[in-house]
Amino acid sequence: MSGTHSQISYKSYWKVWGVLLVITGIMLLVEVSPFSRLIVAVLLMAAMMVKAVLIGAQFMHLRFEKPGLVLALAGTVLFFAAFLFILISFDALRILKMIQQ
Amino acid sequence: MDQVNAAGMIASPPLEDGATPFAVSWQKLMMWAFIVSDALLFTGFLAGYGFVRLASPVWPDRAHVFDLHLIGLMTFILISSSATMASAVAAAQRSDRRMLVRFLSLTALGGLLFLGMQAYEWTSLIREGATLFSNPWEVPLFTACFFLITGFHGTHVLSGVVILAITAMRSARGRATFNGVEVAGLYWHFIDLVWVFIFTFFYLL
Repeated sequence: MSGTHSQISYKSYWKVWGVLLVITGIMLLVEVSPFSRLIVAVLLMAAMMVKAVLIGAQFMHLRFEKPGLVLALAGTVLFFAAFLFILISFDALRILKMIQQ
Repeated sequence: MDQVNAAGMIASPPLEDGATPFAVSWQKLMMWAFIVSDALLFTGFLAGYGFVRLASPVWPDRAHVFDLHLIGLMTFILISSSATMASAVAAAQRSDRRMLVRFLSLTALGGLLFLGMQAYEWTSLIREGATLFSNPWEVPLFTACFFLITGFHGTHVLSGVVILAITAMRSARGRATFNGVEVAGLYWHFIDLVWVFIFTFFYLL
């Protein structure tokens, strides 16, 4: 049943678990902090990306895969996500302006 | 030596016997292809939610609508289940069947707890008068997005629990392969990954 990657200790996974929980706690604190909404949004998005990278690299073992595979997988999703979000932002703000007029 | 095809162009040489693209098993590569397509589906949902949110002059205050303590607990459970799943893969790597079954069962239990809490959350909102097309906060698209996105994610959790239960039973009988456990693990971690985005976009931002 043994796998292809070099054996990873149980401890390293639980360390990642601890870091993910700490980041989640920080996110909940940031949400109720007195910072402006813009700063809160930037901090939350940054924390979200750190969590996503940790899960992908450590739990999904992407750090052990060939760079070509990582680029094909993450690159595809990130490119289309950025493309979609940028496109919809302009149109959504245009509609908001129309409603407010 | 380079091979030349009928059009006179240099063709990539075929893979050597036993070699696989990107040096991963075909099962893993297919699961990754599924995950990317599923991720794009969730991206579409979240982009749609972003569109509705940006174009709406008013939006309900999430702190009043949702119980953030409950959502925090749900997130804790899902992250913990991801850690137990990673440990299950590590146990499979060591051919430690006892630990493998234990960690897989704990992961499935985490999924069931998450689903129970989501059912509680949905029930609370429905009792307050929220439906797919209307709600007391007078922004109908708010609950449309909420029920669609969290419902779709919840369906993934449910199917993940079924996959984990089958994998745990196969492992207990000594019929599971490392590839099978690793692929089930990839799916489960993907569910956790999607929740990271839903948690941020829907409950915090």
